Amino acid sequence: MLDRRSFLTSTAAAVPLICSVGGKTYDVSTAREVDEADAAAAKTPRPKASAAQSEFPTPQPAPGGQVREYWIQARSKRWDIAPKKVDEWMKNRITGRTTFRAFVYQQMSAGFADPIGRASMPGPTLEAEVGDLLVVHFRNADKRLNQAVTMHPHGVKYNPEYDGSYLGDYTRAGGFIAPGEEFTYRWECTPDSVGVWPYHDHGPNHTLNTMRGLFGAVIVRPKGAGKPDVEQILMMHSFAPQVTRLPRLFQAVNGRSGAGNTPTVTASVGQDVAFHVTGFDSNFHTFHIHGHRWKDPAGTFVDNPGFGPNETVTARFTEDNPGRWLWHCHVFSHQDAGMAGWYVVN
Amino acid sequence: MRTGLAAIAALLLVPSAAMAIDYPSPKDPGKLPPRPNGQEATLHVCKKPRCFHSIQEAVNASRGGDTIKVANGKYKEGVQVKNKGRRGLRIIGNKKNPGKVLLNGKSLKGAKAQNAFFVNDVDDVTIRGFKAKNYKANGFFLTNVTGYLLKNLIAQHTGRYGAYAFNSKGGTMAKSEAYEMSDSGFYVGQTPPQSKPKRTFLKNLKSHTNVLGYSGTNMRYVTIQDSQFWNNGIGIVPNALDSEDFAPPEFNVIKDNEIFWNNFNYYLGAPFPVTGDETQTGVFPFPVGLGILLFGGRDTLIEGNKIYGNYAAGFAMIDQLALEQEDARTVDRNTIQGNEFGLGGMDLNGRDIAYDGSGSDNCFGDNGDTQNNLPADNSELVACPFSGANGVNTDARNEMIQISVDKDREAHWIKHPHADKAGYTPLEHYGG
Repeated sequence: MLDRRSFLTSTAAAVPLICSVGGKTYDVSTAREVDEADAAAAKTPRPKASAAQSEFPTPQPAPGGQVREYWIQARSKRWDIAPKKVDEWMKNRITGRTTFRAFVYQQMSAGFADPIGRASMPGPTLEAEVGDLLVVHFRNADKRLNQAVTMHPHGVKYNPEYDGSYLGDYTRAGGFIAPGEEFTYRWECTPDSVGVWPYHDHGPNHTLNTMRGLFGAVIVRPKGAGKPDVEQILMMHSFAPQVTRLPRLFQAVNGRSGAGNTPTVTASVGQDVAFHVTGFDSNFHTFHIHGHRWKDPAGTFVDNPGFGPNETVTARFTEDNPGRWLWHCHVFSHQDAGMAGWYVVN
Repeated sequence: MRTGLAAIAALLLVPSAAMAIDYPSPKDPGKLPPRPNGQEATLHVCKKPRCFHSIQEAVNASRGGDTIKVANGKYKEGVQVKNKGRRGLRIIGNKKNPGKVLLNGKSLKGAKAQNAFFVNDVDDVTIRGFKAKNYKANGFFLTNVTGYLLKNLIAQHTGRYGAYAFNSKGGTMAKSEAYEMSDSGFYVGQTPPQSKPKRTFLKNLKSHTNVLGYSGTNMRYVTIQDSQFWNNGIGIVPNALDSEDFAPPEFNVIKDNEIFWNNFNYYLGAPFPVTGDETQTGVFPFPVGLGILLFGGRDTLIEGNKIYGNYAAGFAMIDQLALEQEDARTVDRNTIQGNEFGLGGMDLNGRDIAYDGSGSDNCFGDNGDTQNNLPADNSELVACPFSGANGVNTDARNEMIQISVDKDREAHWIKHPHADKAGYTPLEHYGG
């Protein structure tokens, strides 16, 4: 359990950014050190065991379940953190460069033939029900960073073949997908998978590449459960200047910083609304919606729950309070640096 | 009966590999060498004194990552790219007007007469902006490579294949045209199985006036998309054969293509030597009048294609019963969904779907109101998803075989009028 003191300590700005790549740990405090980590990642040799054929049975849907098939590629692209150049909350102009080379997931049509939507942060949301099998055809389509990447899910069940994690000499096939390669992950949605979970890169340079944007969400619902009327994934994270080469730190949600750039969520009175909020950096965050309360899993009413890296909280309620509302992380150094957005109830 | 059936099945379709040519032995393309160090150069091929005067001279002088720019003109050579150290070599003609950089093999002899470009064991080579004409084997041929880009190319009458990738891992053929081939316009074959495959993309291609628009023996991890296949004997044919390694074809996607008017009866005359008529050469015949034929193969997705005006059938699927490798004979786990047959009734196929129930786990979905299917009661068109043996309909199988082996290639055609299509003319019988 995170107490107040450790929470504040953990969110202090002085925590160094550490990356372990290719047998060496890098304190990536400068752009040069990031370059060194990237170079080490590009040279990381293919693990011998990574090409081994599976010794595990191929997972199948449970009786009555379906195969939910996705085609997803990873690629780098230019990404604008603040396209409106303003944080509408305080009408703060966002000056200077705001565009950098991000690394993101993108949903494709079958055979990786055509994009379905933009490559974005977060990546495509994978949806399934209990009993289903998520079949994710993943391709490393990047041509610039020359690094192996993966998709590693939380929450769902998988055997080691489909872990999607680089594990040094113990890496399985799905843990090292080099540029141009593809691999098909098979993840089972068991009764204990119900919830909203993150997925992200867990390749040899996973820390940096996750910070560049390789993350997304998995939603597993009970069999037959309907979707909320309004459902929004929010991923809270930060862009360090040594990673983006931009002149300042941005606190971000879904790759954007500042109200008006981050998602503006809309709903109507009477609708079933769900926000799923995940932490995707080394900090702890809270999620607060002005004018609203909801029950946490223990049944207690909350309006500002805390959560840590790769942890998700859900705010679900029936909307009864029209107006323009602010949502934000209530860590002060985060909210004032862009980790906020609008919620408009008609 | 079994022997007789297998023998007949052997007659169904055998897109032969280029057996007449002395190709290098297949081998695993293996790991990539490191990218070359040092400055990458641009070499020029033109008539000026400071230029290389042939493409081959420039290739011989090149290193990995170099770019060779070839000026407009006519070149009489068969270019060979060898030596792994040339990885990443780019050979660029006229990307906007490939016809202005013509390689003509007409008066060449020996090895030079075989292929306009032949790349062996050199990875990530790019060839763009050329037209090849009058070669004996292929227009643009790559073997034993990992990765390539063939783009903005035209192949006319270059032997068996226009663009041909053999025993290779990954690559792209795009924005190119091939016609007048005695086998197929485009071909990807004998793809080595890979635990983490490198996909091959074929997109924005035009293939017409060939025996086959596209053929792929034992192809895998190939996506064919956004392309046109018309006026061939058959439009697209993934197939399993013993003549190449790694049967069957698998994990392929054929998506969003336009496959029409594939009724070119080249047996009655063609702009290329017809080698598929057993009465002349002893080689097995191909049927004529099919849009897509899946002849063996598994885990294929055929989706979003417009298939019309093919007189025998728009789509056909059947086991490769004659394959020696017994575990690779059947068509399994193939999905045919979301295709449009017959151009909304304006340009009907003779039969939209011909499927005898071969294999297992094959399914059909959202293909609109198909007509005149084989068998006629649509009993084999099970909805997706489907698990289990599909169940062979013997009558349908026999009829499919008869369509394939009848020496009157048009005896089983069901002809309908074609819709007008600006810039395109249907070809059934070659007249000049």
